[in-house]
Amino acid sequence: MKEEFEQLKDLAQEALKSVLDRDKLEVLKIEFLGRKGKMAELMKQIVNVADEERKLIGALANEVKTGLESAFSAKEQELAGAEEAGRAEKEWLDISEPGAWSKEGHLHPVTTAIGEISDIFARLGFACVRAPEVEWDYYAFESLNMPPDHPARDDWETFFIADGAQTAQGKGEKQGKMVLTPHTSNSQNREMAKGKLPIRMININRTYRRQSDVSHTPMFHQFEGLMIDQGVTIAHLKGVLDYFARTYFGAERKTRLRPHHFRFTEPSFEIDISCGVCQGHASSDSTCRLCKAGWLELGGAGMVHPNVIRAGGLDPEKYTGFAFGWGIERTLMMREGMQVDDIRTLYRNDLRFVKQF
Amino acid sequence: MNILVSYNWLKEYLQTNLSAEDFAAKTTNAGNSVEYIENMAHRFDNMVVGEITNIKDHPNADRLKIAEVKIGTMKKVEIVCGGVNLRVDMKVAVALPGSKVIWHGEGEPVELHETEVRGVKSYGMICAAAELGFPKYPQGEKDIWDLTNVTTEKAGVPLYNALGMDDAVFDIEVTSNRPDAASIIGQAREGSACTGDKFLWQAKDVMPDGIARAKVEVAVRETELCPKYEAVLLDNVKVGPSPWWLQKRLLLSGHRPINNIVDVTNYVLHEYGQPLHAFDADKLDHGIVVRKAEKGEKFLALDGNEYDLSKDMLVVADHAKPIAIAGVMGGEETGTTVETTRVILEAATFNPVSVRRTARALNLHSDSSAQFERGLSTQSTRPALARAVELIKEIADAQVASEVTSVQAEPYQREAFPFDPKEAKALMGVALSDHEMISILERLGFEVKEAGSNYEVKVPYWRDHDIENKVDLVEEIARVYGYEKIPSILPAGEIDPEHQDQTIVWERRVKELLRGSGLSETYAMSFISGKELSNAGYDPEMSVKLQNPLASDLEYMRPCLIPTMLTTIEKNQRMFPEAQLFELAPIYLPNKEDIPNHKMQLLMAIYEKDGACAFTKAKGILERLMREAGVRQYRFERPESSDSSPLPRGRSGGGLECLLHPTRSANVWVGNHEHVGRIGEVDKQVLNAFGIEQSVILIDLDFDALVPHLSLAKTYTPIPLYPEVKRDLAFVLDRTVEFSQIEAKLKEASGLLREVELFDTYCGSGVEAGKKSLAVHLTFRLADRTLEADEVDEEIAKLRNVLQEQFSATMRS
Repeated sequence: MKEEFEQLKDLAQEALKSVLDRDKLEVLKIEFLGRKGKMAELMKQIVNVADEERKLIGALANEVKTGLESAFSAKEQELAGAEEAGRAEKEWLDISEPGAWSKEGHLHPVTTAIGEISDIFARLGFACVRAPEVEWDYYAFESLNMPPDHPARDDWETFFIADGAQTAQGKGEKQGKMVLTPHTSNSQNREMAKGKLPIRMININRTYRRQSDVSHTPMFHQFEGLMIDQGVTIAHLKGVLDYFARTYFGAERKTRLRPHHFRFTEPSFEIDISCGVCQGHASSDSTCRLCKAGWLELGGAGMVHPNVIRAGGLDPEKYTGFAFGWGIERTLMMREGMQVDDIRTLYRNDLRFVKQF
Repeated sequence: MNILVSYNWLKEYLQTNLSAEDFAAKTTNAGNSVEYIENMAHRFDNMVVGEITNIKDHPNADRLKIAEVKIGTMKKVEIVCGGVNLRVDMKVAVALPGSKVIWHGEGEPVELHETEVRGVKSYGMICAAAELGFPKYPQGEKDIWDLTNVTTEKAGVPLYNALGMDDAVFDIEVTSNRPDAASIIGQAREGSACTGDKFLWQAKDVMPDGIARAKVEVAVRETELCPKYEAVLLDNVKVGPSPWWLQKRLLLSGHRPINNIVDVTNYVLHEYGQPLHAFDADKLDHGIVVRKAEKGEKFLALDGNEYDLSKDMLVVADHAKPIAIAGVMGGEETGTTVETTRVILEAATFNPVSVRRTARALNLHSDSSAQFERGLSTQSTRPALARAVELIKEIADAQVASEVTSVQAEPYQREAFPFDPKEAKALMGVALSDHEMISILERLGFEVKEAGSNYEVKVPYWRDHDIENKVDLVEEIARVYGYEKIPSILPAGEIDPEHQDQTIVWERRVKELLRGSGLSETYAMSFISGKELSNAGYDPEMSVKLQNPLASDLEYMRPCLIPTMLTTIEKNQRMFPEAQLFELAPIYLPNKEDIPNHKMQLLMAIYEKDGACAFTKAKGILERLMREAGVRQYRFERPESSDSSPLPRGRSGGGLECLLHPTRSANVWVGNHEHVGRIGEVDKQVLNAFGIEQSVILIDLDFDALVPHLSLAKTYTPIPLYPEVKRDLAFVLDRTVEFSQIEAKLKEASGLLREVELFDTYCGSGVEAGKKSLAVHLTFRLADRTLEADEVDEEIAKLRNVLQEQFSATMRS
C-alpha cells in the first residue's frame, strides 16, 4: 500500500513536470486529485489494510495528498505567472484606431447660447418669459415711448402684417397695426401689465428686421432683461451686467457703459466688453482684428423710461427699473471667436454647419 | 451715424492742452464714442515737397515721363511719372521709398520701394491727391496733385508741414437724437463739459454792409413742414476754388471741395450742424416759395439726376420751378458757378419726418438730409447764416446786400423742466453734490435757476427735440460725471420661485434629450413661401401674411414646420443621404379676434432610403423621448379610414392627415385621451413636389399639448428577488397581424409572462407570400419563488396554443 502511494506521488510529480498550460493542468488535477481520481481510488482501498497498519497508511495518504495538492497549486501559480507575463504582448491593441461613437446629435449654437444665458440670469432670479413675435404696434412701439413717426415704425425697417388691423376686429383700432417684433422689448409692457411686482424677467425670442446681408438676417434672436422695483438704480444695472459679462465671457473681462440713446430708456447706454483677443490693448497705434480700440459692443441698456413705466400701469414716481437687451447671434460669435463670414449661414440648415456643434 | 472731427478745428472752440488720445478717452466716456483716431502726420511719413526741374520722355513708354525732382536744397532725384499735368517748376507731393501710398486711390496703403518702371529707375512716386487718401480732392483723373498754390514751402520740406497736417482726426459715433453733436462746435461743447476746459464759441448775427438795398422775398406755404426759413442776399461774389486751409478741413471731414461758396455751406454744416444752401440769385424767377411739389413735377438735382417728385414732397421753389428738394438737395440749374456774382444763402428748418420720407422715396440721401432727419431747432439758423456770411466775405470778397429775411411760423418757446437733485441721486445710485450736478448742466449750455426748494432748468435750443423729460437731465449729469465712477452692485431682494414657464423649461430639456438620441437641430426662418405651403398641401391664404416681405417668396409666417423641414431635407439629401433632424419652434395661426396664436410645434424628421426601417427608428426615438421625458401613458393608433380622406388644410392641426402615408402612420395619444400629434411616412406626391428622393418619416407634435404630460418625477419598482427564465419562440403568421395584439394575447394567457420582446421580423424567401415570420424573447418570473423548468414548459405550451388557435400561426421552434 505504502509503495502504491509513493508511486502515485512520483507519477503525479513526473506528469506535472511536462505540463505547460493551465488546461492540461486542470485535466491532470482531475486525474489525480478529482472526486473519482487516482488518489481517491487509492484512498478507498485503505479500508482493506490491516488495522495496525491503517493508521500509518492513513497518515501517509494524507501526507501524499497534501503534498500533491500543494505541488499542483504551485504549478498553477507558476503557469499563471508565465501567462500574465505574456498577456501584454498577446493582447496588444492599436490605440490609434478611431473610437466607435454612439450616434451623436447636435444642438444649434443659438439653442446652446440661449441656455447658457438664461442659466446665468436665473441665478440672479431672472425668470424666462415669452412675449408674442407677431405683435400689436402698441406693445412693440407705442408703449415704449416711440413717437408715431419714429423711423423704426416705417415699413422699410419693420415687417407689417397684411391687413393686420382689419383682421383682428375691434382691437385693431386701439392697438394699431400688427408687426413682427423688431426687438424683444414688447415683453416690457406685457410683463408690467401682469401687475406682479417686483419684476425680474428675461425674454429670449425671435425678432425681425427688414435687412438681409452677410451680417444681418431678417430673423434673429434677442434677449431682453427687465427689472422693476422700488429703488432700482444704475448701480444695480451695472451689477447685473458685470455679473453676466464676467460669467459668460470670463472673469478677467471688463465692461463699461457708454452713454447712448434709445427711446425706451433714460439714461441709455451701450454696453462694451473688453476685447478677448487683444485684452483691451488695441489703440490707434496697434490695431486688433476683432475690436475697436480694445472694446467690443455688446448691446444696449438703460433705466426704463418713466413713460414706459406709466404705460405699464405703474407709477414712475414710485418704481424705477432697468432694461437691457442684445442679439444672441452676436453674443455667441463674440465669445466663441467664431468667424462666420456670412451670418445667414446660421439659418440655412446646411447639415455641414449644424453637425459642427 | 458718425462724424469726422479734426482736433485742430475743434480746438478753435475749446481751450485745451489734452493730447488727442486723452481727449478721445474722456469724450468717449461721456457718450461721444471715438471709434478711431487718425494721426494725420503719420500718413505723410517719408513724403516731401518736390519741385520739378526737368522732364524727359520715358524711352520705353509713351505715356510715362521721367521727372527730375528737387527734393532738398542740394538733392535731386529721378522719378517715373504718368501725370498728364506734369510741368517744370510745378510743386508736387513726393512719396519717397519707405512711405505708404494708396495705389491709384484704391484699397489699403502700400509701402513704396525704390524700383524700376519699364526699365528706368524711379526714386519714389509723384502722387495724386487720391493716392494720399484724399479721393475727393478736385483734380483731373490722370493729374498729379499740383501743390504750387497749396504751399509756399520749399522743396524738401516734409509734406505734413507743408500741408498743415499736424492734426488728429476723430471718427465719432453720434446717436440720432444729437444733431448738435454732429458738429465741431457740438463736440467742442461736449469736450468742455467732460474735461472742464473752456468753451470758446459765441453766436453771432449777420451784419449788413452799408445800407442794405435789396430784400429776399420768401413765402412759406407749408409752415408745418418748414417752421423756419431765413435767407440773405450776397453781392459781388467771386466764385472760385477755396483756399487750401478750408479745402483741407473739408477733406479731413469727408466732404468734397467744389467752389468757395458751396464749400462754405459744407464747412458751416460741419462746424455748426446746420445745413445751408446757396442759390445763384440771378437764376431765380422772383422770390422764394416753400411749397409741396406739384403732381408730375420733375427736378434736376445737383447730383445730375432727374427726380420725379410727388405731391407729399416739400420743395423750395421760385415763382416758376422748384429750386431745391427741401432739406435734401439743391437744383443743378440754380447752383453757383464761376459766373455767379449774386448769391442767396438759405438757412431753414425742415420737418424731420418729411425730409426722411422724401429722401427715402427718392433714394437720395445727403449730409443735409441726414442732419434734418435728426430734428433741428428753429433757433440754429441765424448763427449758422452769420458764420457763412463771415466766411464768404473773407474768401469770396462778397458783400451783404440785404437784411436777413426771416419767416418763422410760431414764436420760439424754450423748454424748461423742474429738477430735483434728490431724485437724480436716487436713480444714479451715487451721492453727487448739487453744485457738481448744476455745473455739469451749465457746461452743456443749460440754464439752471433756483425754484423753491428745487431747480428749474432751461434747455438750450440745440437740444430742442432731445431733452423732453426731467429724467433726461439725470442722464446728462450721469454721463458727464462718468458711468465708470458709478459702483456696480447686485440687486438684493426676494426671488420668486414659482415664476417658471413650463414650456420654456421643457423646450430645453426636450432638445437635450433629442440630441442624446442622435438628432440634429435645425433652425429655419419663420417666413415661408406660398409655393412651399401649397407643395405640402397648405392653403397659403389661411396663413398670416406679411404686408412688406423682404422677398416676394417669403411672404407668409409659418403655420407649420413641415414644409421648411422638407426643404431642408431636399437641400441636404445629396451630401447626407440619411439624417435625423428636429426643430422646435413657434408657428403662427390666424386669429380673428387678436394677434395670431403662437403655438410651439415639435417636429422630428428621420429620412433614409428605406421607409419601413426609418419608421422603426422614428418610433424608437419617440418612445425613448416619452420615456425620458416622463410620459407615463402614451399609445399609437392607426388612423381611422375617415382620417385619411382629405381634410381642410392649412388650419390649426390640420393638413398632416393627407400628407402622410395611409398605412404607415399613426396618431399619438398621451395621458387618458389627449391627441398630441402624429407619426408617419410622408406621402410620395408631397416628396416629389419637394424633390426629395429619400423616404421621410415625420413626428409632428403639438408641444403645448405635450408639456403638461412631461415630468421629472421617477417611479421605482423593487428589484425582483427571484431569477427570471427566458425562452424564445418563432412562428409564421399573416403579415397584417399586429404585434401589439399578439403581445396582449400572450400576456393575457400566461400570468407568469413578464415581457415579450420582438427580436426578428422576416418576410421573403422561405416564408409564404402574405405571411411573416416573427421571433420573440419571452421572460417568465414569479415574485415569491424561483420558477421550476417544467412550470415554464407548461406556460410555453399554453402560448403556442394561443398563437396557433387565435392567430393561425405555424410554429417554427
